[in-house]
Amino acid sequence: MKFDISYIIDALPRLFEGALITLQVAILGFCLSLILATTITIARTSLNSKIFNTIIAFYISFIRGTPLLVQIFLIYYVLPVFGLNLGPFSSGIIAITLNSAAFVTEILRGGLASVPNGQFEAAKSLGVSGVALWRKIILPQTFIASIPPLVNEFTMVLKATALLSVITVVELMRVSQQIYSANYHPVEVLSATFVIYFLMCFVVSRSSAILENKLKVKRA
Amino acid sequence: MTLNFLELKGLHKKFGDITALNNVSLNVSKGEVIFIIGPSGCGKSTLLRAVNWLTPPDKGEVWLEGDIVGSLSSKLTIEESKLLNSFRAKMGMVFQQFNVWPHLNALENVVRAQMVVAKRNKAESEVKALKILDEVGLSDKINEWPDNLSGGQKQRLAIARSLAMDPILMLLDEPTSALDPELVGEVLSVLRRLVNNGMTMLIVTHELGFASKFGDRIVFMDGGEIIEEGIPEKILKTPKTQRLKMFLEKLNITSFKQ
Ligand SMILES: Nc1ncnc2c1ncn2[C@@H]1O[C@H](COP(=O)(O)OP(=O)(O)O)[C@@H](O)[C@H]1O
Ligand SMILES: [Mg+2]
Repeated sequence: MKFDISYIIDALPRLFEGALITLQVAILGFCLSLILATTITIARTSLNSKIFNTIIAFYISFIRGTPLLVQIFLIYYVLPVFGLNLGPFSSGIIAITLNSAAFVTEILRGGLASVPNGQFEAAKSLGVSGVALWRKIILPQTFIASIPPLVNEFTMVLKATALLSVITVVELMRVSQQIYSANYHPVEVLSATFVIYFLMCFVVSRSSAILENKLKVKRA
Repeated sequence: MTLNFLELKGLHKKFGDITALNNVSLNVSKGEVIFIIGPSGCGKSTLLRAVNWLTPPDKGEVWLEGDIVGSLSSKLTIEESKLLNSFRAKMGMVFQQFNVWPHLNALENVVRAQMVVAKRNKAESEVKALKILDEVGLSDKINEWPDNLSGGQKQRLAIARSLAMDPILMLLDEPTSALDPELVGEVLSVLRRLVNNGMTMLIVTHELGFASKFGDRIVFMDGGEIIEEGIPEKILKTPKTQRLKMFLEKLNITSFKQ
């Protein structure tokens, strides 16, 4: 069997469409994950509640201690039991969000730990508290300190979306499967898919360096 | 009975077994400059931090201009925390470690709380910030990031940030202790201006020369208690208690070594 590049060229338009969906799922899932993890982080610090912290600790260890594939299936089949027929796309986003938020929460814990207590105290001593304290003083510093691991987590999410093909989300991997099961040329189609995933991740991780440099330049 | 400007009544604070404050009471009149001295760990920082309720005491009261600051209940209601914030805005606090905000440039450091707490608009806040930054000698650093400032500049920035809230009282916790010796002077000269402008201040320091020159009163603490207080002349030249004598001796020996 010889490698026929024309199968790649024919497949490209559809693969790009799939890649677009992949990006959408990844960006949406990651943004929701950031929101959820940020909320958890703030609540954990300001509520200072044993019960809440225990629940979060369980959530994080369940997510980290089970395969994402199982989590995806579980959410896909469990939600309808509660009368939520969201379809594969939304279920997929929820699965990705819940999974990623566990990791982002851990990342933000580290970022927050790097913000000295004096930063809170200076703000409080000026009368800045509550939402403003977090929004204007603490979170910016937490996120700046967390940029490299957050960008890394985004590439993990981007790659993890391929698993959503199993619940029929028509993202890059699913499209790729559809094409090669019709033309029987998995090597060409999967090679192209491989390169597209790689390029997306490559651009994202490069952006980390650029983002960090920009913030450093701003300060230097 | 005259109304005291600031009144600390029977403050107690324990951290586990450690007694940081043991029945500390102090009356401060408007415009008074009080220096607090004492060995490390004697409760000086805890006292300052009790005044603006950053470390709420276990027992006792703080009164500012006839109003009670803070509440001893552990969870503040929204109303209570709003009220506390307005008290805190009136009491500028300066920390040993500066605690300027590294993600904001010098101007933004001074603008931020004005907008959030004093609800001034951006233009107003910036005008005020520029004026104060000029007063502390930082007018050429307004766009600089804190990381690029020297310790003395950071501390002056921190002071400017507090002054922008129009405080009626300043709490300064060892404002020059983290500075290289050659940078101490620039911060002290900013403080001197505040003294001359009649600012009421509580200053924790080891700079006895500065304290004796500009203090109306010196308060000596040890073991969480006020042991002696009085005019600088009396406290530094004719200490009554053995503890103060020993403290002053030790301080003289160390400053001689330096
Ligand atoms: N947050 C805290 N937790 C536990 N112990 C503390 C805390 N803050 C202060 N202390 C203790 O309380 C005592 C008084 O501390 P502090 O007021 O900081 O002393 P000073 O400022 O005079 O050096 C010390 O023994 C210190 O270890
Ligand atoms: Mg101290």
